[in-house]
Amino acid sequence: MTDASGAVTAGRSSDEGQEHMADPLGFINSTARDRMLRGPGSTAGGGGALGDGVAAGSTSAHSFKDVLRASVDEVNRAQQEATRAVEDLAGGERTDLEGVVLATQKADNAFRMLQALRNKVVEAYDEIKQMRV
Amino acid sequence: MYGTLDISTSGMIAQRTRLTAISANLANQNSVMPDGTPYRARRVMFSPGDPGASDPDGREMGSHVSGIEIDQSPFNLRWDPGNPRAIKEGAEAGYVRMSNVNPLVEQINAMQASRAYEANAAAAETTKTMLAQALRLIA
Repeated sequence: MTDASGAVTAGRSSDEGQEHMADPLGFINSTARDRMLRGPGSTAGGGGALGDGVAAGSTSAHSFKDVLRASVDEVNRAQQEATRAVEDLAGGERTDLEGVVLATQKADNAFRMLQALRNKVVEAYDEIKQMRV
Repeated sequence: MYGTLDISTSGMIAQRTRLTAISANLANQNSVMPDGTPYRARRVMFSPGDPGASDPDGREMGSHVSGIEIDQSPFNLRWDPGNPRAIKEGAEAGYVRMSNVNPLVEQINAMQASRAYEANAAAAETTKTMLAQALRLIA
């Protein structure tokens, strides 16, 4: 245990040294990376590590849900806008074909983007599900 | 993210409006206004910024039609003494005032508007390709 934590600390310090060399302006050195590096070093005992992991997992799950809901709402709004634009064009309420094409294009792209992200997330979930413990 | 598409669309709409004015000029080159004066050519004025765009980039960097103004250049004269609207006296006697639309100028303007519309469509197409490439990176 002590050996492992010592190795982690050593690895972290050498990593930090490399970062100062490669990234003097701090463009790459994000907070996420800091947290990732600091995580193993801060865990003193086994119970603490588990508790930390659960707490971090629950907070990130909550924010992930919010992000997902927000993006689905956004895509839905774009779709509805496109539908309304096409209906208005067909009904003769608007005559700017370009604006209708733009709305359709936006909705199409937003949906494809969300679908790609969803596929990626499901893929990651499947990978975790099939992991042998 | 969709700012570029908004900008290209605003450019296309502006150029289409310009082509509308050019068509009106060509159609009315022999028209007489209700008050008896010949038709004057319409000129579409563009301004930067598109207040109708949904994206902040589009609002700031798009283009829009700020107004349609009337060309105040002098009327063309055509020799036609038998015409009931011919000028009766003075140095221009025997001439008829025609609209100040020059079909050649209008044709060049139409080509320009068409090319500009094409350029905006090409820019939109490029943006679409870029978005598709980003999507391929994710998927």
